[in-house]
Amino acid sequence: MLNNHYVQRFVKGWRIFIKNPVGKAGIGILTVFMIMALASFCLPLFGPMYDPMTGIDPNIKISTPPSLTHWLGTDNVGRDIFAQLLEGAKVAFIVGLSSAFFSIVLGTVIGMVSGYAGGWVDAILMRTADIIMVMPSLVILLILASLFGQFNIWLIVFIIAIMRWPAVSRVIRSQTLSLKTRPFIEASRVAGASSVRIIFRHIMPNVLPLAFLYMTFRVTAAILVEAALSFLGFGDPSQVSWGMMLQWVWKSGHMFQAPYWLIPPGISISLLTLAFYMLGRAMDEVLDPRLRKEGQS
Amino acid sequence: MRSNIRKRVCRSLKQTELITRFALTAVVIVLASALFLSCQKTKEDRFLKIGLPEEPRSLNLWLGTDANSRKILTQIYQPLYNRHPETLEIIPWLAADDPIIDETALTYTIKLRKAKWSDGTDFTSDDVLFTKQVIFDFQIPRYYSKWKIIEKVEAPDAQTVVFHLKKPSAIFMSRVMNAPIISRKQWESVTREALTKEKPLRSLQDHVVENPVGTGPFTLAEYKKGAYIHMKKNPHFFGTGLTIGGHLLGPYVNDILFRVYGTSDVAILALKKGDIDYYWWDIQPGYISDLKEQDNVDLYFNKKSALYYLGFNLRKPPFNDVALRRAIATVVDKEFILSRILQNYGTAMHSIIPSGNHFWHNPNVETYSHGKSKEERMTSAVKILRDAGYSWETPPLTPDGKLTVPSDILLPDGTQMDKFVILTPPADYDPKRAFAGTMIQEWLRELGLPAFSRPMAFNSLLDTVKGKHEFDAFVLGYGKLNLDPDYLRAFFYSKNDKPRGWNMSGYSNPKFDQIADMQRVLVDTEERKKLILEMQRMILDDVPYLPLYNPHIIEAALNENFRGWVAKVDGIGNIWSMCVVKPVE
Amino acid sequence: MRLQYILAKFIEIAVIFFVILTMLFFLFRLSPGDPISKVVDPMLTPEDMAHMISQMGLDKPLWEQYVIYLKNFVTGNFGVSFHYGEPVSRIIGERLGWTILLFTTATFLAALAGVWLGKVAAWNKGKRMDNVMSISALVCYTLFIPWFALLLLWIMGFKVGLFPLGGVLSPELWVGDSSTLVKLLDLIHHMVLPLLTLFIINLGSYLLLMRSSMLSVLKEDYIITARAKGLSEKVIRDKHAAKNAALPVITSVGLSLAFSINGGALTEQIFTWPGIGRELIFAVSNNDYPLAQACFLLIALVVLVANLIVDLLYAWLDPRITY
Repeated sequence: MLNNHYVQRFVKGWRIFIKNPVGKAGIGILTVFMIMALASFCLPLFGPMYDPMTGIDPNIKISTPPSLTHWLGTDNVGRDIFAQLLEGAKVAFIVGLSSAFFSIVLGTVIGMVSGYAGGWVDAILMRTADIIMVMPSLVILLILASLFGQFNIWLIVFIIAIMRWPAVSRVIRSQTLSLKTRPFIEASRVAGASSVRIIFRHIMPNVLPLAFLYMTFRVTAAILVEAALSFLGFGDPSQVSWGMMLQWVWKSGHMFQAPYWLIPPGISISLLTLAFYMLGRAMDEVLDPRLRKEGQS
Repeated sequence: MRSNIRKRVCRSLKQTELITRFALTAVVIVLASALFLSCQKTKEDRFLKIGLPEEPRSLNLWLGTDANSRKILTQIYQPLYNRHPETLEIIPWLAADDPIIDETALTYTIKLRKAKWSDGTDFTSDDVLFTKQVIFDFQIPRYYSKWKIIEKVEAPDAQTVVFHLKKPSAIFMSRVMNAPIISRKQWESVTREALTKEKPLRSLQDHVVENPVGTGPFTLAEYKKGAYIHMKKNPHFFGTGLTIGGHLLGPYVNDILFRVYGTSDVAILALKKGDIDYYWWDIQPGYISDLKEQDNVDLYFNKKSALYYLGFNLRKPPFNDVALRRAIATVVDKEFILSRILQNYGTAMHSIIPSGNHFWHNPNVETYSHGKSKEERMTSAVKILRDAGYSWETPPLTPDGKLTVPSDILLPDGTQMDKFVILTPPADYDPKRAFAGTMIQEWLRELGLPAFSRPMAFNSLLDTVKGKHEFDAFVLGYGKLNLDPDYLRAFFYSKNDKPRGWNMSGYSNPKFDQIADMQRVLVDTEERKKLILEMQRMILDDVPYLPLYNPHIIEAALNENFRGWVAKVDGIGNIWSMCVVKPVE
Repeated sequence: MRLQYILAKFIEIAVIFFVILTMLFFLFRLSPGDPISKVVDPMLTPEDMAHMISQMGLDKPLWEQYVIYLKNFVTGNFGVSFHYGEPVSRIIGERLGWTILLFTTATFLAALAGVWLGKVAAWNKGKRMDNVMSISALVCYTLFIPWFALLLLWIMGFKVGLFPLGGVLSPELWVGDSSTLVKLLDLIHHMVLPLLTLFIINLGSYLLLMRSSMLSVLKEDYIITARAKGLSEKVIRDKHAAKNAALPVITSVGLSLAFSINGGALTEQIFTWPGIGRELIFAVSNNDYPLAQACFLLIALVVLVANLIVDLLYAWLDPRITY
């Protein structure tokens, strides 16, 4: 499938992309966070004290400001905040990318099927999308949290994906609708290609760039939702994340006394989402800006 | 071309100017009004301003049983007897004196004080009769189960009531006489109408009380939903000028304003800023160091009548084995939990009844881990398990007594132990219990036990533990235990081992049941105390619950405007404080 | 043709609404626990709890409860809140007023500013001004709301001390006999910080939306025609382009007003604003079924109607769309 045409298109797109200052800034920030996420894998090398979840500095019983042994200080049980920040970067990437990926896959497939099939399949799928879009997602997540007892990180990923596909599928559907009338689809249908083949061989390559663009926006949404959930106390408590760090600083009563603990996770959340968003905007310029129907999610 | 550019520049200049002007005007208006309002505030500051963590549920006392409604309602509705703030003895409140008890006829004769309702009508024995009638007619939750013991109530005259009991009761004074008395005048028509409905209790609870009439120190002046509650001094309060419980009662404050703060961080900022005089809620240890530096804020540390514990499911393996429970009790380092999670603001708990409740507390129960070093704890735990037939391929202790990482433990029949889960509330509900769960998990793993700590949403947690009994172990707590120890029976009585029953562990011991029934009918407190101590010893021997810690209640109050808070078990937020707190001259 | 379209839309909405209605009922009933399972009070015996449950009508079979629920809904009776013991309609009425006051003000201010700034940014595309504006808008948009709100409260409310720390009014002013003007000023004074939070967050998205919409409009033929006609740049920008480019912003304003009931919960919580979003989360965590259901239905209804209005508005505003 990856023939010369696509490679050329990619190279051309990349050239436009990298000229864009917004895109460049996005890539820059993203690289920093990627390094942080990778660095979190090296934490065990520094001994059990730097384990973000269970590592406890035996000499420290209260939250302490930054020092040489703890670059960003410690939390109130003596865990290293910098280690948690690195771990949080990893989790943010995992949550953001995987839930965005799932929701895009779901949204793209449903959008293509719905647009291509039309009729009652389209009606049911799109009405389902409407229902999900009408529901206030944060509150639904809270109900589900009580339904499942407690979230683990993958459940959160899964639910964010489920809640966020409809907007994507709408856009993909309308794109599919316009593709459907193009001669080359007509031609392959006459040639006897099955619907599945048409959808995946002919329609999909054409909607993929758009889907990929939406993915960058979904990543920001997913990271923010996970952070909000964790901040409210519905996150996965056995997993360090930036939202969880904020929840801890809040619930332990250090909100306005330990700026070294409060500021880093908040800034990281905003910066990482910003980076993905910038990436998306730059890609948007590469693709035809008219393709975008939806502003934000 | 050039003129075009100039035009453009001009235009953008004009635009910028316009924005700037607009923005400046807005900022000036906002700042001016802010300054104006902050000046206004300092003028009239004789209100006692109290912050609440949540909106009270209802001012209907049959529905408003939550902590925040009670903060308002206990200023209004009063019981016949109350607890002395220091000695915790039961002392007359609306009653004029201690009851005259006839043990053979099973009667309590109670003289009432001369008191008036806040609407000016007299408080009489008829109101007590009416209260009893309501509790029986509607089977009021919490009260009816205790009041059932009453055969009948008589009112020989307007100032005397006689309670006839069906059988002797140890909890009559502490659990029956603590019920608030209501006014017949206000409630009679409401109850009569509610009784005709399909759901009487619910209609009574859903009755909207705009203006509650009580006998307490304060009355409701105005309730603006979502904004504030204004209470005024009750001119008819019976206690004014009397010395009860060692305090000369006022109230010395004319107005109280209650308002809600959505998060405690903000409430504490409000306290530091002087917006409120007292935040009526337990504050996290994290705030202490900061508040200690504030000269205008006083901190209060008081014992709590609370119990935080690790509970086991005795109905199924692995925790139906008492040896395993004892071994776990031995490795749990309560002092560590105390220092790390409670930052030492609290006490490690060794018996079910908190040590603050000194009359009933048994200090001589088996304490397992107390005072042992890590190696000693491990050694005794390993010994308990070995004696009961458990084994390891690699034991947690090397032959020369050093700690190592053990292999998974093997049951007495040589098979592997199944993984088990310790359920805890989520961190937002109570970070202490969630952290405690994680730490216990680590200690148990050092013993080779396949423990997993899992926080669970509070609703589901209670449903799983209390409703369905599908669990291995859990960390839960009671934030406010009654000072009467009858709850020991509720927690471990074998008949309470049913869905929604309080015997969540499924503890069943006929001997315990027998003693629990006996203590209930003993009116002689010294005799009863012996049985209560024995019950605690039995529980700590069998460890269905392992008590963990009892945090202090930490509260903060501003000392600039009002002083004289009464500290007692469960903090300074109580009726006594409200009756004696005085404005600073 | 148009009437038929509207009719079809209405039927569609009715069906979706019914599905949501049913889904909500079962979602709440199937989630573990009940309105009193959260109460940890040894004074409550199991008999007490059974009594309370039956008094709330929750001991009946599920289908019977469902029929009662539908019947009540059709007759417009939303029931009585388990938690507050007051009619749900009254509680919602009280809370909704506060939410609408805060969110409509914030949304309109942000939309006005967003449209204007977005227009300027698009007009200066690629210049420094555009880049600065776009990036600051992105920063606004990706801010983590509760974190930002708390910082704002800390700095403006406490450190600088110019604004109140949450709430809607100062009780000490309202209890006494202050003039209406003082009361009004007090209310505005309390609104500043939450308003600023919401404004900043909304501003980013409206600005970006307006900018991209404006950019795509500027490529349309009728703009080129207008230019060819020799109309002044200002007229083209403000009359021709901006007017059409504002369409998606209007859509977005309509929808975001509807969603403010939900998304405002965090802001409301931090500023102790007694609005509906805060109440909804509270009702869900308390298993207060009647109140939570009614809030949800309200949100669903508002969103559905807002969608409908937006669709119709589009048809009316944009002559190119015909049905």
